[in-house]
Amino acid sequence: MRDLSFGSYFPAISFVHKMDARAKILIAVAYMVAVFLVTAFHFLGFGACLLFVLIATIAAKVPFKLVLKSIKTIIFFVVFSAVLQLFFNKSGTVVFWVITDVGLLNAGFIIARIILIVLGASLLTLTTSPVELADGIEGILYPLKWIKFPVHEFALIMSIALRFIPTLIDETDRIIKAQKARGADFESGNIFKRAKALIPVLIPLLISSFRRADELADAMDSRCYAGSKNRTKYKKMHFTLRDLLGVILVAGLIVGIVFLNNFYLLSELATIAGAL
Amino acid sequence: MEIIVKDLTFTYSKKTKSLAFRALSGVSLNVKEGEIFGIIGKTGSGKSTFVQHLNGLIKVQKDSGSIIIGDFDLTDKKCDYKLLRAKVGMMFQYPEHQLFAETVYDDVAFALKNFAPDLTEKEIESRVREAVTITGLNYDLIKEKSPFDLSGGQRRRVAIAGVLVAKPEILILDEPAAGLDPKGKREFLELLLRLKNDFVKTIIIVSHDMNLVAEYCTRAAVFMGGEILATGTPKEIFSDEMLIEKSGLDLPLTASLTEKFKVKGVAVDSDLTVDGFVESLCRALKGGKI
Repeated sequence: MRDLSFGSYFPAISFVHKMDARAKILIAVAYMVAVFLVTAFHFLGFGACLLFVLIATIAAKVPFKLVLKSIKTIIFFVVFSAVLQLFFNKSGTVVFWVITDVGLLNAGFIIARIILIVLGASLLTLTTSPVELADGIEGILYPLKWIKFPVHEFALIMSIALRFIPTLIDETDRIIKAQKARGADFESGNIFKRAKALIPVLIPLLISSFRRADELADAMDSRCYAGSKNRTKYKKMHFTLRDLLGVILVAGLIVGIVFLNNFYLLSELATIAGAL
Repeated sequence: MEIIVKDLTFTYSKKTKSLAFRALSGVSLNVKEGEIFGIIGKTGSGKSTFVQHLNGLIKVQKDSGSIIIGDFDLTDKKCDYKLLRAKVGMMFQYPEHQLFAETVYDDVAFALKNFAPDLTEKEIESRVREAVTITGLNYDLIKEKSPFDLSGGQRRRVAIAGVLVAKPEILILDEPAAGLDPKGKREFLELLLRLKNDFVKTIIIVSHDMNLVAEYCTRAAVFMGGEILATGTPKEIFSDEMLIEKSGLDLPLTASLTEKFKVKGVAVDSDLTVDGFVESLCRALKGGKI
């Protein structure tokens, strides 16, 4: 489990790594909006999104293979959605057996959409450490303080959760090994048998999580942690030219896609008008 | 069962070059049947990675050396790991953290039900009774209790019973005495000796506690940076000043006392166990000038 996978940070010094976390999160959200703006059958928009991810990957000095690896974790989901489209989409003309041309197009569309979103999301987590991510989200949610939303506590909960993911993975790894040493078998049998085999792992994991939570709370109490009041930050975030460039790029992407959509619409309208 | 390890190398994250980390390089080691073998070295020296190879929790990587334990060839793809794990028992650090069942009985029986699914309930019961009893716990009092209601020392005993119940020939213990109070520690070590005499044939101990190593181990290997610096009896290891300096190990109490006496002009030549030390100290003092 030591291998990198979806959601882990890839340490490097690069243009993207140095960007403001708030900007990065906003850009990632905007990018996802862009992916969703691409309407069916206009694959050119997906090309633009892919180009955006490629540029960002190069600027982030992250090996493209690592970014691609994130797809591996969701491959089942991708295939499942595509198959659903293939077999249950009844519109269009039948190409083969029950598969229609619209179904085929839709399947391709969904595959492209999911993969592009996951690529973007994994690029964000690869270039932003969990702590920065939590800080960034806190920064973005800051206006919600107005309506008495406990932004700082929310961010703290999130950063603790993120912080403990590797610890929990290690712990899981250890418990799995300990139970394997006692002959536990996680790799064979049907799905029910395998689910049952997980009980000896989940129960110790749950117990140790509670223990850890208790210890952490005590440690925070003993250092007089008192939430957000009058709390200053060790690392201040600054919006720089770098971030502006990223925002401009993603804005360009959205404008381009909207334009593309409307361009098709316009040309279609034009042909309809021409036909009339 | 003899353990023969040849030229074992292991790299974490082998596929991702930038993250690859070589935890073991060219480790060769023989452990004969009947030994209590110590594995010592600083944190991160590859000890854990090494012992986890011995029961197939970490598989031998391709072209990275070989491990043969009795009839098991761990480089062989067809190696039956389940059978191997029944023969090579392993107890991790803080084994009480892996308890999960509702009763002590169920938890101890877990390994047995995995390794020998054909046993009748009666046979299982007698094996569980035997394993719990040898750890010094009262089986009838404790069998229906929840493991989470027990004290730390008792929980550790239950955990070791859960390993012993499979009757392994080789027992691997990772920091067996860590986190126990002095009394618990002493009792646990006594248990270890008891095991060695009539339950398991070979014991391998990973430990930072040099006193434990000097007192109980027949031989030990010093790990550093994924390599074995030296193998030998505790006496050979702890009297090698260069080795101690290089590996940054502590000396067991008997060895530091030996040194102190040497400065004062009394040569104590013992095997570094407490009894052996006292014996030869008395001899040196009686025969000497003092």
